[in-house]
Amino acid sequence: MATNVGASANAAAEESGLAASLGRQAIGLARGAREIYGVFVRTLYYVFSRRIDRVALVRQMYEIGNRSLFLLTIVMGFIGTILVLQAGLQTQRVLPDLSLLGASYLELLVRDLAASIAALMLATRVGAGIAAEIGSMVVTEQVDALRMCAADPVDYLVKPRFLASIVMTTALTIWSGGVAIVTGMITAEAVFSVNPRTFWNLSLVHASDVAVGLTKCVAYGAAIPIVSAASGLSTFGGSEGVGSATTRAVVNSSLAVIMLNLLISSAALMVFR
Amino acid sequence: MTKPSTVATTPRFAPLSAAQKSLFELASTVGQMGILAGQIVRRLARADFDGLELKRNMYKMGVKSLPIVVVTALFTGAIMVVQATPIVRRIGAHQLLGWGAGFGTLREIGPLLTALMISGRVGANNAAELGTMTVTEQIDALRALAIDPIAFLVVPRFVAIVATLFVSTLYADALALFGAAYSGQFLLGVEPMTFYNGLTSGLLGIGDVMNGLMKSLVFGIAIGLSSCHFGLGVSGGAPGVGRAVNATVVASAAGIFVVDYFVTFLLG
Repeated sequence: MATNVGASANAAAEESGLAASLGRQAIGLARGAREIYGVFVRTLYYVFSRRIDRVALVRQMYEIGNRSLFLLTIVMGFIGTILVLQAGLQTQRVLPDLSLLGASYLELLVRDLAASIAALMLATRVGAGIAAEIGSMVVTEQVDALRMCAADPVDYLVKPRFLASIVMTTALTIWSGGVAIVTGMITAEAVFSVNPRTFWNLSLVHASDVAVGLTKCVAYGAAIPIVSAASGLSTFGGSEGVGSATTRAVVNSSLAVIMLNLLISSAALMVFR
Repeated sequence: MTKPSTVATTPRFAPLSAAQKSLFELASTVGQMGILAGQIVRRLARADFDGLELKRNMYKMGVKSLPIVVVTALFTGAIMVVQATPIVRRIGAHQLLGWGAGFGTLREIGPLLTALMISGRVGANNAAELGTMTVTEQIDALRALAIDPIAFLVVPRFVAIVATLFVSTLYADALALFGAAYSGQFLLGVEPMTFYNGLTSGLLGIGDVMNGLMKSLVFGIAIGLSSCHFGLGVSGGAPGVGRAVNATVVASAAGIFVVDYFVTFLLG
């Protein structure tokens, strides 16, 4: 029993009826949403009302952007290959002609997949990093020390991450879209012998697709640090607490990315039909 | 003392040595995971693991992840339809919507997104738990009591993660198609029956479902190995646990995509 540290706390909260557990979950959900909303509003307030610490901003941009570059390049390279392979194999069952493969792939990549897959990877890497860092600051009472010095931790810790993440998510999405296009092109040439000139067909990429893709970048870039910082700031109890805050950050920011994706995509479908 | 300080003070620009260092690190991590996999397989073959711990972990990882899997799957289905809409409109073939959303969900997006969510929730949590045990010397205590930590802690968790991901993917596939059918009705005015007909009209077979499920098994192995490896390798107190969780999440996410590539190529 001693090995299972978290289980006893969970088991104590388990024993009650269905209604009670549903209610508890609803209250927990509402509380979490309020926390995220609070951090978001305070961040926006500080972005517009206080001076921006350039040094912290650049450091966070390096931390979020440059250090994710390797991971994103690898992942998006593989993703480009997989997507073209799957799409090509499936299209061959219905249509004999693969000349529109590139056009459809580029359209899908610009409108959705470049931003969404890059953001899912950033949600795990950046989200876990932010929550672990802020969480250990909370556990070691450094955040309380900041409050004692009359510095709001949202202003001091969350704001630079928020701004850096918006800029770097956009930049990384554009880079990773480029990587996915190149590997997709190579796969199409190698497996389905589609000429790169035929593949590079921008006729289906409209200005609205670019606008939707960029909107997604900014929305994801804003959501990931806010959600992760909220779960980092609500850490309690030792190293166990830091671990669970990190888990919560990853899950919640991935869910935020998926929900924002649906929201923005269907809004775009209504607007640009 | 000199080695860490040189690493810390030269983040300037040394791409070659940095690449070499990260390559060696990668190779050593993969090798250690391979050794761990061998140890797990040996215990599994002898059926030498703790059944009670397995049951407890199945509950904690499987049943408790259900809400996240449900939400992710419903949203995934809806997103698939939203993305397929312009293509379907252009061709003007509403009966193809079921096929388009179905093959994307069953073969690729369903297993992939479920694996990413499970890796975030279960993999990270598992690494944090094993890491806390390592830091507080509970693993050493087990060894002192002549209890094999691999058989007692690691094998049940590994099996539970693989089983959880497999069952969740099955469940997520069904729910995503359900979500896709009803968002198709809402967004495109395609009747759910038309959607189901497109799904079952012969363009998609059991092979597509099995393809996705095979992937989920491999993803589960990747998540289980990386979370157990990083959890057991924690050093340096509470910040070490945070770092281990971070490493687990990144390694399993990258591992999922890399493994996906090879499985896609092998299964075709």
